[in-house]
Amino acid sequence: MACTTGVHTKFPKIRRAAMNAVAGPSNANNERPLNRSSSPFVGRKIQAGDTVLVRLPNAEIRSIKLESDATTNLGKYGTFRTNALLGQPYGLTYEIVNKGLKVVCATPIEDVEDTNATNELINDGQFVQPLTGVEIEALKQSGVRVDDIIKAQIEQHANYALKTEYSKDKYRKRKEAKFSKTFTTLEATLFHVSDYWFTKDPSRVQDIRADALAQMLSLANIHPDGRYIVVDDGGGIVVAGILERLGGKGRLLAINNSESPPVYHILSQMNFPSSYIDDVFCSINWAYTDESWAPDFPVDAEPEAPKNEKQRMRVEKRKRAQEKLNSTRAELFRGEWDALVVSSEFEPCSVVEVLEPYLAGSSNIVVHSPHIQNLAKLHADMRGQAHFLAPNITEAWTRRYQVLPGRTHPLMTTSGSAGFLLHAIKIYNDPNASAAEPARKVARVAKRKRMQAKSDANTQED
Amino acid sequence: MWSTAREIAEGDVVIVWLTREAVHPLTITAGKEFNGRFGAYKHSDLIGVPYGSKVACRNGKGFIHVLRPTPELWTLALPHRTQILYLADIAFVTAWLGIRPGSHVIEAGTGSGSFAHSVARTIGSRGRLYTFEFHQSRVAKAREEFMQHGMSDYVILQHRNVCKDGFDLQDEIDCVFLDLPAPWDAIPHVKRAVRKDRIVRICCFSPCIEQVLRTVSALNEHGYTDITMYETLLRPHEVAQLPAPVPIHAIRNKLQIAEVQKEDRRLKQIAASKAKRDGAAGASPSHSSVEQSGSKRKRGAPNDDTVDDGGDGGSKDVKRVKTGDVNAGDTDHLHECVESFPSGTDLKGKGKQSPASSPPPLTVTQPIKEVRGHTSYLTFACLLPSIFPTPDAGRPFSPEMEAIPEPAQPSPESPGPQPIDEDNDQPPPGHLDGLQATPTTVTPPAQ
Repeated sequence: MACTTGVHTKFPKIRRAAMNAVAGPSNANNERPLNRSSSPFVGRKIQAGDTVLVRLPNAEIRSIKLESDATTNLGKYGTFRTNALLGQPYGLTYEIVNKGLKVVCATPIEDVEDTNATNELINDGQFVQPLTGVEIEALKQSGVRVDDIIKAQIEQHANYALKTEYSKDKYRKRKEAKFSKTFTTLEATLFHVSDYWFTKDPSRVQDIRADALAQMLSLANIHPDGRYIVVDDGGGIVVAGILERLGGKGRLLAINNSESPPVYHILSQMNFPSSYIDDVFCSINWAYTDESWAPDFPVDAEPEAPKNEKQRMRVEKRKRAQEKLNSTRAELFRGEWDALVVSSEFEPCSVVEVLEPYLAGSSNIVVHSPHIQNLAKLHADMRGQAHFLAPNITEAWTRRYQVLPGRTHPLMTTSGSAGFLLHAIKIYNDPNASAAEPARKVARVAKRKRMQAKSDANTQED
Repeated sequence: MWSTAREIAEGDVVIVWLTREAVHPLTITAGKEFNGRFGAYKHSDLIGVPYGSKVACRNGKGFIHVLRPTPELWTLALPHRTQILYLADIAFVTAWLGIRPGSHVIEAGTGSGSFAHSVARTIGSRGRLYTFEFHQSRVAKAREEFMQHGMSDYVILQHRNVCKDGFDLQDEIDCVFLDLPAPWDAIPHVKRAVRKDRIVRICCFSPCIEQVLRTVSALNEHGYTDITMYETLLRPHEVAQLPAPVPIHAIRNKLQIAEVQKEDRRLKQIAASKAKRDGAAGASPSHSSVEQSGSKRKRGAPNDDTVDDGGDGGSKDVKRVKTGDVNAGDTDHLHECVESFPSGTDLKGKGKQSPASSPPPLTVTQPIKEVRGHTSYLTFACLLPSIFPTPDAGRPFSPEMEAIPEPAQPSPESPGPQPIDEDNDQPPPGHLDGLQATPTTVTPPAQ
C-alpha cells in the first residue's frame, strides 16, 4: 500500500487547527457569519438559454428551452413571448394572455362541506353534458373566461346537482385542467429533473427514480471537494446529481462506452453555470482504463510541418486533447478516489473489478440496477473477496398521499419500482488477521484440555 | 467536517466497525484503549493506519475495521438522545427541499444531530444550517459534537423554542425542516425567516396522521402551495447461496421406494409373528405367508437363519429389516412400477448431491424478514416568491404601437419588486400588478 500523494494532503493542517481550538461555545447565539445569502446558483432566476420545466394544467410536465426574443409554444395552452419569463423567479404560475403573461395567484385549498348526496340516482352512460364540442370551441374563441365556460357546462349538466360536493370539486378541477391556459415553472432541482425523466421515460434513466438517486448520493457521501468516479449509462442523471452536489468544487471522472465524447443530455436541463463543469468534470472511455494499454498515437499524422493557420490550429487542438486525455488517465491511475457510483448497462462485477484499485480505503461503492439479479451476483462476488466490507442490497419504497380536507389518502396510482441499490465499503485487508470466534473456540478447547490434564494430574497424585 | 487525510491521526474521530449492528465512534487519544468483542486495541496503534484498514488485534485474535466518518456511518454510530432520522428519509427530504452546496437551511429541533450532519455535508462550508433545540442538555451535546467534527463555522446551533420565539432570522433561508411535535406552532414564524425573492420549500416530519392533517391545515392557512405528503422506507434484501433445489421426480421416486419397503416390512412382520406363533405352538414353521410375499424366497442365507431361529429369530428378523438393508432384488416386481431417476440424485432430499453431477448452487435474494414499517410522514409544501419583477402583461399587438419594453431587470422607476408588508397581508397597490382585479381561480392540479 504505497502512500500516494493525493489532493488530500493540504487539508489536514487546517482541520487539526480547528480541532485544537479552545473548546467552548465558539459560536455563541449572537454571532452571525458574514455571508448571509445563499450561493448565487441556489437563488437564480430564469435566464435566456435556460431549459425550463413547466407544469401544465393537466399535470403533464414539459421541458422547454428559452431563447431571448423568441416565442414559446405550449400547444393548445397557447403561445407567448419568451422574454416575459426572463428574470422571473422559478415556481410561479402564469396565465397566457395576448401572447404575454400574467402572474396567477394560487388559491388555498378550500374546505369542501360534505352533504348527504350520494351517487344513488346518477346513472352512467346517459347524455349528461349538452354543450357540444362546437359550442365549447365557440365559447373559447369568443374569449370567454375559463371560469365562465365551466360555469356554463355546470348549468347544463344534467346530474351536477346530484353529485357530492367532493365529486363536484373533482369535476370542476378536471374541467379547469382542460380549458385553462396556465402553466407553472419548476426549478431544475435534481428532484424535479429526475422525476421528470422517470415519469416520461424511465428506461432513459435506467429506472432510477428520484428517491433512489437521492439515496445513491447519500450512500456515496457526495459533497463539495470530493473526488468521484461515475459510470452512467442513463443519459447523465447520475452525473447531474453528483455535479449538483459538488457545487463547482471537487472532481468527477465519468467513464463511458463511447468513441466520441458522450452526450450526457440531462446535464443541459440542470442549467449549471460553467463553474460547475469546467474544472470539475472530465470523462474517458473504457479503453483508457486499461493500465497495460499504452497507445502511442502521433499527434500529427502529417510528416511535414503544418502549412497554414488552419492546419496548425487543428494540430494544436489535437495535441491539447491528447494531453488532457493522458492527464485524466494518469489522475485515474493515481487512485485515492472517494467513491465509485455505477449505473451501467454492463456487467457490474467487471466494472467494480476494473475500478476498485483506484478507490481509497473507506470509500463507498454504490451500484444501481433495475434488476436485483445483477446485484445478487455482485454481492456474492464481493462476499468472496477480502476488500469489500458489508455489501448490502436495498430497494426504495415510497408512497405519496393526496392531502385534502376529508379526502386524504395515498395516491391511486404509483410507481412499482425504483430499481435496486448495492452499497459496500472498500477496505484494506490484513491477510494475517484472524477472526475472533474460531480463535476463541480454539482457546476454549485448549483451556478445557489443560483443566482436564490438571485434574488428571491431581487424581494421579491422590 | 472530519479528517480528509489518508491516515489516522491523534485527535481524529474515526468509526470502528465491528459488525453491522456494532458501529462505534472513537476519538483517537494516545494512551487510551478500545475494548470490545473482538479484542483490545490501543489508540496509539491506530495512529498512522490508513482509513479503511482492517486492523488485527495485537495478540492475533479478532479484528476490527477503522473507517472514515460519513454522515451515514455517524447515523449508525451516534449515541441516541432522541429518535433519529435514517437514510431513506434524510436522502428524500434533502432532494425534495433542493438542499445543495450553498443552501441556507433551518432545522428544528436538532435532536441527536443525525439530520444535521447530513445537511452540513451537503451544503458545505459555503452554506448555512441554522439548527434549533429547546432541550438544554441536548444542545450541549450537539454543540460539542459539531465542534469536534469541524462543523461549527457553518452549523449555527441555538438553544431556542422556535414554536414560541421564532427563528430570529430574516429574509435568508432557502429550505426549512421541522421535526417537532407541533409544527403548526412554528409555521407562522417561518415566513419572516425565508427569502422573498425565490421559492422556498418546507418539510414537516411527523409520525402521526393527525399531526399531518393539522400541519396541512396550518400550511394552507399561511399561503403555502403544492402541499403533498410522502412516506419512504428502505426494503433491504439478503443474498444467500443455496444448493439447487431437488427436482420433484427424485422425491417421488424416493417415496415410492419407501412405500415399497414399508409394505415389505409389513409383510415380513406378519410372517414373523405368524412364525413365532407357530413356533411357540410347536408346529413347524409354515412358509405359506412367506411364499405369498414372494420376496423372502429371493433372499440369501440370512433369512433362512431367521426363520429357523425360533423366538429370537423373530426379533432378529425384525431388527434386520429395520436397518433398512434392502437388496435390489427383494422387491423387484414392485420396483418395476417405480420410475427411474437420474443417477446421483439425492434420495434423502437433503441436497447433498454426488460430486459427479451436482448442479451449481443458486444465488437467491429475499427481502429481510424484520424490517422497519414506519418512520414518519413527510409533509412538503412551497412558499412562492412574493418579490419579483412584473412579467410582460401582454397587450394586443398592433403595428402602430411601439415595441413593448422587456422587464428583464426591474428598473427603479418601474413598479417592480415591492416588499410585502408583513404585518398587513394586503399587498400594497402597484404590487403584483400583473394580477387582474379578480384573480383566476386556479388551484394546483391534484397530483
